Formats: sequence, C-alpha cells, structure tokens
Amino acid sequence: MRKIPKNYITASILCVFVIAAVIYLGIVFRSAKEAEPIYPGPGVTSVRMLSDWYPELKGTSGDTEVYILDSGVKGASMLVLGGTHPNEPSGFISAVMLIEYCRPTAGTLYVIPRANNSAFTCTDPQEAAPMKFYIDTDNGTRWFRFGSRATNPIDQWPDSEVYVHASSGQKLSGSETRNLNRAYPGNEGGTFTEKVAYGITSLIIAEKIAITVDLHEASPEYTTVNAIVAHEDALDLAALTLWDVEEDFQITLEKSPINLHGLTHRELGDFTDTMALLMETANASQGRLHGRIDSDLVVTGKDKFYARAAKYGAVTVPYDDSGISISERCARHIACITQFAEQYQFVGDGSAISLGDMPSYKQILKNGIGHYLSSPK
Amino acid sequence: MDIELICLLSMLAVFLLANLLLKLPVSISMILGAIVGALVGGQGIPVRHLFEGTFTYVDTILIISTAMLFMTVIQESGALEALNALIVTKFHKVPALMLVLLMLVIMFPGMITGSSTAAVLSAGALVAPVLLLIGIPKEKAGAIIAIGAIMGMAAPPINIPAMLIGGGVDMPYIGFDGPLFLLTIPCAVFAVLFLGLRYCRNLDIEKLKEGLDLEVGKKYGFRLYIPIIVLFVLLVVSKAFPKFPQLGTCLIFLISAVVGLFTGKRFNFWKKSLDAMETTIPVLAKLMGVGMFIQVLTLVGARGWIVVSCLGLGMVFVYIATFTIMPGFGAISSYGAASVIGVPFLLVIIQNTVCNDIIVAAVLAFTCCLGDLMPPTALAGNYAAQIVGLKYNKVLKCCIIPFVVCIAVAVLVIFNTNALAFLTA
Repeated sequence: MRKIPKNYITASILCVFVIAAVIYLGIVFRSAKEAEPIYPGPGVTSVRMLSDWYPELKGTSGDTEVYILDSGVKGASMLVLGGTHPNEPSGFISAVMLIEYCRPTAGTLYVIPRANNSAFTCTDPQEAAPMKFYIDTDNGTRWFRFGSRATNPIDQWPDSEVYVHASSGQKLSGSETRNLNRAYPGNEGGTFTEKVAYGITSLIIAEKIAITVDLHEASPEYTTVNAIVAHEDALDLAALTLWDVEEDFQITLEKSPINLHGLTHRELGDFTDTMALLMETANASQGRLHGRIDSDLVVTGKDKFYARAAKYGAVTVPYDDSGISISERCARHIACITQFAEQYQFVGDGSAISLGDMPSYKQILKNGIGHYLSSPK
Repeated sequence: MDIELICLLSMLAVFLLANLLLKLPVSISMILGAIVGALVGGQGIPVRHLFEGTFTYVDTILIISTAMLFMTVIQESGALEALNALIVTKFHKVPALMLVLLMLVIMFPGMITGSSTAAVLSAGALVAPVLLLIGIPKEKAGAIIAIGAIMGMAAPPINIPAMLIGGGVDMPYIGFDGPLFLLTIPCAVFAVLFLGLRYCRNLDIEKLKEGLDLEVGKKYGFRLYIPIIVLFVLLVVSKAFPKFPQLGTCLIFLISAVVGLFTGKRFNFWKKSLDAMETTIPVLAKLMGVGMFIQVLTLVGARGWIVVSCLGLGMVFVYIATFTIMPGFGAISSYGAASVIGVPFLLVIIQNTVCNDIIVAAVLAFTCCLGDLMPPTALAGNYAAQIVGLKYNKVLKCCIIPFVVCIAVAVLVIFNTNALAFLTA
C-alpha cells in the first residue's frame, strides 16, 4: 500500500485554510438556528410549547411552538401540522398563514408550524437547497427557512443502516431514522425524532383533537401528489371535502395503506381517536428532475426540466412552463383545511369547528399567499 | 445548448484534465471539477455547498476508518494467518465447494450491513490471503472479493438501494428477499467459479502448508478468533433483534478491534493504526470529492438535466439506461444512483408497462449496487485492490465478465417479472 509523501509547508497552508473554512462555515451553519418571525394574528389566543404535553422535550430542538386559536365557542378541535418536512414549504407557509390570518368562529384550532423544529436548522446534503426563501407580502418581503426532510444530525446521529419502526417492526432505509413522518405514534424512550412524534401524539390525546391534518408536498413525478391521504376513519370527511373543492381544482383521495407504518395518516388514526389526514401538493424544488435550485424555484415552482418531463409523460400532475407556485400549493391546502373543518359537523360527534372568514382557493390564487401573511415588522 | 449541460461538460472536462493530464489525485480533481462547475453555473465558489456535499459520506468514512483498525488488529494478532491455515487444511479436497463457501463468507457482512465496503474490509480481508494462497492470481482474487462484496450488498436481508428506491415511491421493504436472492446467488457462484476454479483444481496440500503459519493457531488456539466472532455476532444480533441496543457498524468494528488486542500476538497498535489510516486517506478523500461533485451537479441543475434527458429518450432508452447509466452513476455513488435515477426510472417503468413493481425495484437496486465497481469511486474495487496489493484498474478488468453476466441476469429478470411474481409472496 502506497504512503502519502509528507510536505510540512503544504500541510501548514492547508491547515490554515481549513481553520478559516471551519470558522466561516460554523457561522453559516449556526445561522440556520435562527427562526423566521411568525406574527400571531387576532385569532391566536395562546402560544404553548409541545413540551407542555411531553416535558422531556423541554430545552431541546424538538420543542416547538403550538399556536392555539380558540374561538370561545364550544366545539370540536383541529390540529394542523406544518413543517413535518421543512423542505416542503407550502405546508409550513399554510400553517403560518392560519396563525396570522385565521379567526375561528367555532371550536379550537391548534397549529404547529414547525412540527420537526430541528429539521429547520439544516439542509440535506447533495440536494443543494437554499437555506432561505422569500415571499412578497403587501408591505415588504419576508424570509422563511428552507430545511431538511429529516431531523438535524446534530440532534440525532448516527443513523442505523436500517430503520426499524418501533411499534410495527417495519424495516425502512436507515435514512428514514430521522424522518418525523415515519416515527408515529412515537416512542417515549426512543430516538429524538420518535420523542417529537410522541409529543404530538400526546397533544392529540390530551386535547381530544377531532381532526389532524398533516401538510406535505411531493415531487411532481411522485404517485401520491395533489392528493388527500386519509385514515379509514377519516374517509367520509375527506370525501365530503373532495366533493366541495373539486369545483376549483383536481385532487384525489387515497386510503391510507395499512402496511405502511410510521406515517400520520396511519398511526394517528390507529393510536388516537383523531381523524387523520395528510395532504400532498406538487413541489418542483423537491424532486430529482429539477434544474438549478434556489428561492425562485421554491416560490414560483417554475422549472424547465419538469416542463420537459411532463411532455415525456414522466410527471403525474399537470405541469407546464407556468409552474406550480407556492400560492397555488398553499391555496389547495387552505381550501381543504377550511372544508375539513366545515364538514366535520356532518361526520363527527355533532360538534362543529369553523375557521371563520377564510379566503377561497381562487382568492389566494389571485392575490398571492403573501397577501394573507403579515407584513414584516 | 442548455447551460446545465455546459456546466456538466465543464465539470467533466476539468476533472479529466486534472486527473489524467496533470496527474492530480482523483479527490482533488473532483473538487476542481465541482468548483469550475459552480463558477460556470454562476454560483461563484459555493463554500457551503462544497462542505455540505462531503457530509453525504461521513458515515461511510467512519465505517471505513474503523474497519481499517479492525483489519489491522486481526492481521497483526495472527488471527488472519490462523484462519487461512484452518480453511485450507479443511477444504482443499473440494475446491469448488471451498470457493463457494468463501464467496458466501465475503458476502455475509454485506448482506447484514448493506455495505460493500464493510464486506470488503471485514470478510474480504479475511478471505484474500486464502485465495492468494491456493494460487489464484492477485487481480482475480481482488475481483472475487469485489464482486462478492457487491453481491452481499445486493443480497437480502438488507439492500439499502432497494430501501431508498422503495422509500421514494412509498413501497414497503417487503417481498424483496426472493427476487434479490435470485439475482445475487447465481451471479456470485458464477463469478467465484469463473474467476477461481481453474487455479485450484489440483491443490497440493503439502506445498500449501509451506506457505501457511500453522504455529500461530496452535499457540493461541481458539481465542485468536474471538474478535472475528465478536464482530459477526454483534453485526447479526444488532440486525436480528431491533430491541438490542443499536451499536452501529463503526462501534462494532471498534469493539471487535479492541477485543483483538488481547487475544493474540502483541504489537504496536498506535503505529500500525497510523500506517493503516495513512493508506486509506486517499480513498476517504475521494469520497469527499465525490460528495462535493454531486452537490454542485444538483446546485447548477446538471443532475436534473441528466435524469430528464434519460427519460426523454423513451422506454427503450430507459431500459438501456437502467443497465448502463444506473450502474455508471455508481462512479459517483451507488446510493445516489438509487435515489436520483432509481426512483424516477421505477415510476416510469411501472406506469408504462404491466410488471411486478417489487421485482422491477429489486432489479434497479441490484444494478445500482453494481455501481460500486465503477471508477473513480469504485468502493468495492478500490478496497479489494488495496487488500491484494494492486492498482484497482487491474482488478476491475477481471470484473468485466462477471459484471456482464450480472447485467444479463438482471435483464432476464426485468423482462419476466410477471412470471417471477411468486418470488415476492
């Protein structure tokens, strides 16, 4: 075996270079810990932390804000999870929009915008994603964090080669070990990510959450996209919603597979009394086919390679040069969430939840999602 | 011409220029290629991205480093020599069976960990001296180890590319065992017999004994093998019993190495470890260079250009690309091939043909695994060559025919998925 020849001058120069790079990169990567401001709107009645339901999370990156919008009128409760995967920004932005705009008129809305708070503090190697993206509001531009699909390895590492789901024994690639949406219903004595999932499950049980909606995005070539995935207990609610929103946009309803474990739509439905639903919109910055990736791609959803792939029949959603903007993706989420709430009274225990005067799909498309966000302060 | 294609060509041109003409190491050449690609793509010198790209391989680098320590310990303690003597004296009368058993030994760590590197550095290192001793030339011994490690990586129960591809389309890792056994076992048996049998048909045990150290085994006895047993027991237990504390492959290699310090000949662990690490640093650097390269490919959009260009050429080309570009992408990363190309290819195939999706995914995963033979990364080939003391291109030449046979088996399987669907039950 060949040995490397020693050269002290070269080594010294490289050491100096490495020290400088480490200092610079340390500053860059630590900056990812800074969270964007969220401005609670008039509907927010209190802000608690997830550790209030599972104290072991207190002081960790897994602890995250839970915004409570209590209408003051007795009714059902609904939980919206944004940021399960912080590289799927329409879920996060929709959750922020609810916090800043929504004023429920019946029941209580709980919103966790950064469900996997830790995953907002890093990006995925080899995805070359931006650390921030920008949305124009009526009075200025706001920045938002673009994160990783998985918990920051600073908080949970190393991954095992194979991830074994705690309650089912299902085996998945080790890369799913830090995926919050493979960790449900969570594990009190488990990994960091399993504990975050356990905290969310604990909240759902303690607050008797009637509806849980987990907001996601998928790449345009993925099979489950522009879709609602519903646990069998939530199928009626999803079907009623579908009936209503299909006037504005195409969306499919899929039943949660019984042999795919760890996901919200399966485990929260099985382990709690909530009606568990998950939504997917088409995000061009997420797939394997996109070209150059930056904030513009995240927000406009315009990508020439996806447009080409659509012509080849390689994507599963309508896609052309106009792209699928974050406003359109958020509009889908918001329209369905509004309808889930409105339709619950027909399939639930008779109690109601209403999100009040929410913009329609068409209004969000016309005005842009930024119109419904607070201006930067 | 797309700017993304210009970026890709610039990266490749700079890499080749630096490596072939300027004779710079592969790692440095890849870094230069990545920097030039980013500059051409209008990204300046993206220090954050260059650094972040290297993190893809942190786990692999740690496994390789700890495995090197384990290898050093079993070599220096005398365990390796004793094991060689044991295998040759017991099985020399049935060389074909001996070769197949040795192949299974090489495959085993790969089957358990899903990593060809772990297989080469653990079992490959154990078996290499035996192969050389029975008269198999160095380059063919290296090829047997490389192919065996890759077959182990692809064989069940753990096939990480299959999990990555399955994860990309929400396909549970269920029903893969049958198809993966069908793909790997015949190829592994063929490879070892094709490469090795002609050299060990008439083994002269007395002559072989002259090259064996029969004393070290007698002096230390069974305890010499304890570190190897510890390694295999911990690997199996941590995978078979999920409730068992997950030590991770790195810690398992380290524990086994520490145990080996007390079970055989004494040696200067510090000096030998430094020597071992010094020899492996070029390969570790190569992995980091590859990480930077692929991150910049994504950043400038060249990754998307590659995948969409493949898809745009129609179903026939998708199949051709499955058996050429997909293993070829292993030159960058076989896991990357599974994630970047495997997922869209699986979606295109299952959407456009009547087929068994699990078997198609298994075939795609199998071809991704073959990418660990592709230079410049050629993880399996690189380390197999190091173990037998050769440059890796000599070893890779001997892998060509087994590689072609593997591809042929994969082609046969992918076009007969419906007939083979019973394997997924």
